[in-house]
Amino acid sequence: MKISGSYTLPFARARVYQLLQDPQVLAQCMPGTDHLAKIGPDEYEMKMKMVISAVQGLFAGKIRVADQKPPEQFRLLVEGSGKVGFLKGEGVLTLVQLDASPSDTSTEVRYEGDVQVGGVIAGVGQRLLDTTAKLVIRKFFEKLTELAGQTSLPAAG
Amino acid sequence: MIPQNFEYSAPNNLKEALALLAGGNAKVLAGGMSLIPLMKLRLAAPDHLVDLSRVPDLKSIREDAGTIHIGAMATHWEIEASPLLRSKCPLLAEAASNIGDVQVRNMGTIGGSIAHADPAADYPASLLALEAQVRIASAKRERTLSIADFLVEALSTALEPDEIVREIIVPVEASGTGVSYQKMVQPASGFAIVGAAARVRKSGGKVGFVHVGITGLAGKAFRATGVEKLLATTAGSAADVQKAAAVASDGVDANTDLHASAAYRRQMAKVYTARALTQALARTS
Repeated sequence: MKISGSYTLPFARARVYQLLQDPQVLAQCMPGTDHLAKIGPDEYEMKMKMVISAVQGLFAGKIRVADQKPPEQFRLLVEGSGKVGFLKGEGVLTLVQLDASPSDTSTEVRYEGDVQVGGVIAGVGQRLLDTTAKLVIRKFFEKLTELAGQTSLPAAG
Repeated sequence: MIPQNFEYSAPNNLKEALALLAGGNAKVLAGGMSLIPLMKLRLAAPDHLVDLSRVPDLKSIREDAGTIHIGAMATHWEIEASPLLRSKCPLLAEAASNIGDVQVRNMGTIGGSIAHADPAADYPASLLALEAQVRIASAKRERTLSIADFLVEALSTALEPDEIVREIIVPVEASGTGVSYQKMVQPASGFAIVGAAARVRKSGGKVGFVHVGITGLAGKAFRATGVEKLLATTAGSAADVQKAAAVASDGVDANTDLHASAAYRRQMAKVYTARALTQALARTS
């Protein structure tokens, strides 16, 4: 399944890039994440509990960040599996600074990737995979925008 | 497959049902047309099911001061066959007759369908066009939401875990209103690839009132307000309908699956919107 789209955040590019590289931020933004730990350079393992309507699945997986070109691009590799199925995918995130004026800056995050989903969830949930993926991505960015607006996080250096 | 073990309660009245749900851990079983297959596949594994089938008064379909109140446990077949709905809110009866197959219509309920909030379900297109209200109850309170506020996004509603849908309220259709629900069906599942519901009324030879709801195209069903604006105050000719329906997919992030790509769905939404409007207009008078 191809996934692509974009989301605009009202923050400078360096700050958005920094947030997207911060495992604590990612853990808070990804819906249902209840464990995320560093297991190597740019590599993390995680546990997620996805709840969508009556369906719920526990997933354990790994995330790896590669090909970093701060502050404009990086590659994200994800794999996870659980009782209800598995997923494996990778994508490239590109950050584009949009400057309306020097005081009003925002960043568009463009993502493009390919995800393979298998197991029971893909067999019977095919009809809903695309919708669900879009939903999870939107929730991720909404939460990221909320977190980035909080002053308790370190500002971009 | 066999579901995981769960506790089962079949309360005899609404108060008891709401008390069982108050803990927030139980899941409501209505017709079971979506929940039971999910449980058998072990995609859903609720600890506790509260079956509403023995709760009286949740099945009635009654008229009250210009509105029709439909109990949440009314089955699709009961809605399709209701003389009251067929004569006074025919759009909902028509939508119900398009759902799944006869077995699903005999078991599945309107409350269960909207609470599950499948993005391709048939009812939401019509309920949005009808500006339906949803009455919700919990042990603590009761509230009424518009269907637009009730449907939050794909598979997600404003319902809290301790709440149930009690009834759906639709208007009695004013005389001279023409309605139609047109659906492109996915034959294996019976769900809509796209479905369009239209309500139209003319006054003085012009389209005075038009409401259009579209399901299946996006993450959730929506009112096609762009189509409505373009058709309103026109004469409702075939050309007017085509021109208005052409904007049905504008600005919509369309769904893709192996049955239909986003581009195909967008095109079909225009085609089925035009068909629904054409038939609804033909039924005015």
